[in-house]
Amino acid sequence: MVRTLPGLRRPAPRRPALRGAALRHAGVAAAAALSLAGLAACSSDDSTSSAVPGAATGGDKEDLTASAPVATNIPAGSTMDKIKKRGRLIVGGSLDAPLLSQQNPATKKVEGLDADFGRLLAKYIIGKPEVKIVNSASETREALLSNGTVDVVFQTYSITPERAKQVAFAGPYYSSGLVIATKKGETGILKPEDLKGKTVIAGANTPAIPAIKKAAPDAKIVTFGSDPECVQALKQGRGQAYVQDEAVLLATAKQDPTIQIQGKPFTSDPYGIGLKHGDAQMKQFVNEWLKNIEASGLWAKVWKNSIGTVVQGEAPQPPAIGSAPGSE
Amino acid sequence: MDVITRHLGEFGDGLLITVELTLLSLAGALVAGVIVAAMRVSPVAALRAAGTAYVETLQNIPLLVWLVLAVFGLPEIGVMAGLFTTAVIVISLYQGAYMAEAVRSGINAVPVGQGEAARALGLTFTQSLRMVILPQALRTVVQPLGNIAIMTIMNTALAAAVGVVELTAAANRVNLAEAQPIWIFVTAGLLYMALSACAGLTTGALERKLAILR
Repeated sequence: MVRTLPGLRRPAPRRPALRGAALRHAGVAAAAALSLAGLAACSSDDSTSSAVPGAATGGDKEDLTASAPVATNIPAGSTMDKIKKRGRLIVGGSLDAPLLSQQNPATKKVEGLDADFGRLLAKYIIGKPEVKIVNSASETREALLSNGTVDVVFQTYSITPERAKQVAFAGPYYSSGLVIATKKGETGILKPEDLKGKTVIAGANTPAIPAIKKAAPDAKIVTFGSDPECVQALKQGRGQAYVQDEAVLLATAKQDPTIQIQGKPFTSDPYGIGLKHGDAQMKQFVNEWLKNIEASGLWAKVWKNSIGTVVQGEAPQPPAIGSAPGSE
Repeated sequence: MDVITRHLGEFGDGLLITVELTLLSLAGALVAGVIVAAMRVSPVAALRAAGTAYVETLQNIPLLVWLVLAVFGLPEIGVMAGLFTTAVIVISLYQGAYMAEAVRSGINAVPVGQGEAARALGLTFTQSLRMVILPQALRTVVQPLGNIAIMTIMNTALAAAVGVVELTAAANRVNLAEAQPIWIFVTAGLLYMALSACAGLTTGALERKLAILR
């Protein structure tokens, strides 16, 4: 009984202050080590599925920017002129999108379709492929463009009439589609209508969410931040299907034999180059550049270097410029 | 502005999930907090050590890391719960560490004489804690517990990262369709402010009702 009270109210500062501090530090260090270990375990788990597209093909790529065109007709005082004087094109983009815009952890170079187009546009305006990528997100893209933080956005930016009220779209420069993936051996999910009543996984802030809602209004949609997380969730059975961009899923399915792609793409997403709203001069300029690289075959080479590493066959026809509602 | 009115349903659903997540997590956190605080003042050295380890581990690793570990790590060892349930449990345990420290400070604020009197009356440790110390301790920490409640409301937004469609995730989805981030996120912010104001007012009222003048 006598021992209970000291336990109840232990006077705190009896320990030498130094020992207390040392203990605290040890605790912090241990916890930091713990969390690092946890993160390391987590990421090493993912690395097989996420880092591969860049790593596997990174070394022997042809330098596309060497032969890329440079503009000769930049009007003084235009946005392009300002970018040229600055010596660097500021691009809003991702660093974690496989095949499109993903930073190679070994070389620090950002690789993929969107990243290459960004460098080519920089070369066209400035004369050298100087690009700074500002990591933007679908919550911030419109604001970053309108306040001038970034010059252009290359980030799987689907052209829609709603977005076209906020930003100007050059292009479309690429047309993609969503496909359905399931665990290997799953039957009965081939079309988007088959998703009715099912739990469907989608990337947060991807066009998959509205597309699923449209095709199967009563499907339950579960979203996760990144592609590896979505794949993990599919494998763990948090949903019966995963809807994602065809190119991304092809890369995933190639790496991971437990994932299977079902059916053909069921949407057509025209990706546009986001520009400041109302800058018609810049939009026309970027569209001219796009026409130029499509005609010279550079567009097909960019495709071959990124999406073409997982999709068989020749590069597709690029979509007609101005064809998507919102890009006129 | 019609962006918001067109999506009232989505905002409402998100708000409801945020409120549910907050209330369930707070209840869980209060239970965890009182138990851990009792462990940290108990006469048994092993219990004190376990309580300290709990608080240090939970507080020194970010909530987002815990959420991701629980959602993607636990199924690997065969433990699989729904996303909402997992989020409630993780947020409860995490906020429980903060609750424990607040409650412990309350216990330390109860005058020594109270414990001594309880002992003189022949109460055991558990009895004196439950009937004498804790009722007084909890009354003194209403305000810090209210702060933790507000922190919990804000922290529920992290559940959006692991697939729970609460207010932040709902705002994200609306923005994906409408591309009007300023209006949409200002609305979400105002809703969070309203929730915090409710928590703050409740705390104030509770404190006026419960405070002991010493």
